[in-house]
Amino acid sequence: EFRFGSCRVEGVVLPELWEAFQAMKHTVQAQDNVTSVRLLKQEVLQNVSDTESCYLIHALLKFYLNTVFKNYHKKIVEFKILKSFSTLANNFLAIMSKLQPSQENETFSISESAHRRFLLFRGAFKQLDIEAALTKAFGEVDILLTWMEKFYQL
Amino acid sequence: VPCVSGGLPKPMNITFVSINMKNVLQWAPPEGLQGVEVTYTVQYFIYGQKKWLSKSKCKNINRTYCDLSAETSDYEHQYYAKVKAVWGTNCSKWVETGRFYPFLETQIGPPEVSLTTGEKSISIVLTAPEKWKRNPEDSSVSMQQIYSNLKYNVSMYNTKSKRMWSQCITNHTLVLSWLEPNTLYCISVESFVPGPPRLTRPSQKQCVSTLEDQTSGLKVK
Repeated sequence: EFRFGSCRVEGVVLPELWEAFQAMKHTVQAQDNVTSVRLLKQEVLQNVSDTESCYLIHALLKFYLNTVFKNYHKKIVEFKILKSFSTLANNFLAIMSKLQPSQENETFSISESAHRRFLLFRGAFKQLDIEAALTKAFGEVDILLTWMEKFYQL
Repeated sequence: VPCVSGGLPKPMNITFVSINMKNVLQWAPPEGLQGVEVTYTVQYFIYGQKKWLSKSKCKNINRTYCDLSAETSDYEHQYYAKVKAVWGTNCSKWVETGRFYPFLETQIGPPEVSLTTGEKSISIVLTAPEKWKRNPEDSSVSMQQIYSNLKYNVSMYNTKSKRMWSQCITNHTLVLSWLEPNTLYCISVESFVPGPPRLTRPSQKQCVSTLEDQTSGLKVK
């Protein structure tokens, strides 16, 4: 079960996501030649409070689904890693659809803080050529999963 | 004098071997250069930063490994390393590792295991392995502090019944009860953390015998 603050997500088996990414890691990361740029920098993911985590994970997963996975699909077919890719994408979709970040006024400042972190990530993404950015974002899923693991309980 | 790049074949099988965050770069000599006094030069790179960095102790070395533990000690970063072979004014092209992520890839060594036997029980106390440290006198950091979800897989073998079983625990003590008295049991423990699959390294097998059954010695009057 994931617990991103008050957001609970059940029914996702994190080891399956790891296994799926591990099957693609070397293929995808080897394509990333812009090694001087890291999108999921420590400023994006470090010291995220529990309450902030739900907003941040929701924004990140939404971006991965709607931008990264959607546009990287051609490469996935080319690399013949469709099965692993589908496992990852479907699980991200399942998690995101179960997240309900609170919209109340009291949490406005927290959601703003999460949004600034997300903008840091997206800003770095937009500075790159789209193909390079997609490859890099996909190759950094291990950084994202490592952060998500902190909120996962067996 | 810069060497002529590509004049030599490249080193092979470059990889990081990492145990408890001791991160050692290893490679094999280039093919076809037996008997030639080749030396090697290593550089490393922190993902997201700008330049390749040198390690002076791994410049023009004869050995085929380089300890980069200090240089890769921030385990939440990711790294690359590369090596080239040099011979006189000739050198090979660089050969590079994939992206190395110590936090996900380091092998978690076995815990320290101490056993105390009872008549029908064995008490097991585990001490988490220690993270690599720069100097022996530095204070120790337990791998438990890095991986709060560190778990142990305790394997037990009854040498009389030839029966083996195992148990996964999160805390550091385990009491095996309802054992057979006066029986030799062998125990081995490996550490593991959830996350991507990684190599594990079980502890040395330790065998201890449960004590004699005290009641069997009593005479029934």
